[in-house]
Amino acid sequence: MNGSKHDRAGGRAEPATVRFAFTPAAAYVRAARLVAADVAAHAGVATGLLDEVRQAVGEACTRAVLRHRDRGIEDLVRVEFAIGDRFVARITDNAQELRARPSGGFGVNAGRGDARANDHDTLEEDTLSEEITLIVLGGLVEDLVVTGPDANGGTTVSMSWPLPGSGSAADH
Amino acid sequence: MRGTSGDGAAGPELGLGLSEVGEYAVISVTGEIDMYTAPQLREAVRQLASEGRMRVAIDLTPTEFCDSTGLGVLIGARRRLSDSGGSLVVVCANPRIRKLLDLTGLDKVLDVREAVPGE
Repeated sequence: MNGSKHDRAGGRAEPATVRFAFTPAAAYVRAARLVAADVAAHAGVATGLLDEVRQAVGEACTRAVLRHRDRGIEDLVRVEFAIGDRFVARITDNAQELRARPSGGFGVNAGRGDARANDHDTLEEDTLSEEITLIVLGGLVEDLVVTGPDANGGTTVSMSWPLPGSGSAADH
Repeated sequence: MRGTSGDGAAGPELGLGLSEVGEYAVISVTGEIDMYTAPQLREAVRQLASEGRMRVAIDLTPTEFCDSTGLGVLIGARRRLSDSGGSLVVVCANPRIRKLLDLTGLDKVLDVREAVPGE
């Protein structure tokens, strides 16, 4: 992890970055979301927004792990927090396809009557979860951008939250 | 219960308490539901269904954290129980998780209540 102490108490702070990567396994998603909340708190994100940061980064990391797992990719999921005018979180996967298989959305399919095997159920729940992550992120985060996939890699979820003293913070 | 992955990494904690209220088997969930712990909740519902307990209430009021994986388990549980003639009630007086259900629209898909029916 590359990090530097960032102290906003003395006026306009220097930009800082925290960057790490993790094996796409479920056990590490919690670590990522806890680091996100801690770095956000240290950066000065309002206490009332820290739960949102934790949930959103967790959702984005969950999505990345699901995308890697779905496609058998063992590459690391990359996470970056940038502290400048705003607190920015970027979560990048390495899955180039946008979606592995079609799905009709959970609202439509939730009541279907066809029987499935347990493994199929689990896979379907994973697919649902990947879709729900984006629904949650869209409802939760005001400043959300999902880019990719492109020729160089997978998708990146970028999110930002206001910091004290930044122009955008005055809006909140 | 503390989860531990195969490589020794500490995972989030999840507690599942089982009780009965009226005709419902109630799973009370403490701790964090995420993609690491959600399979335990999924399995608990399957276990109840395999025992013929088709009316299940999942109580998220004491749950500290729930992500989209947890929501996926709720959807799957509802479908499996409904397909077998049963039903799922999601009990949630927890504003943080209620917000999650509201913003995904799942408050309209799932039977979300403040308390277990008959309680």
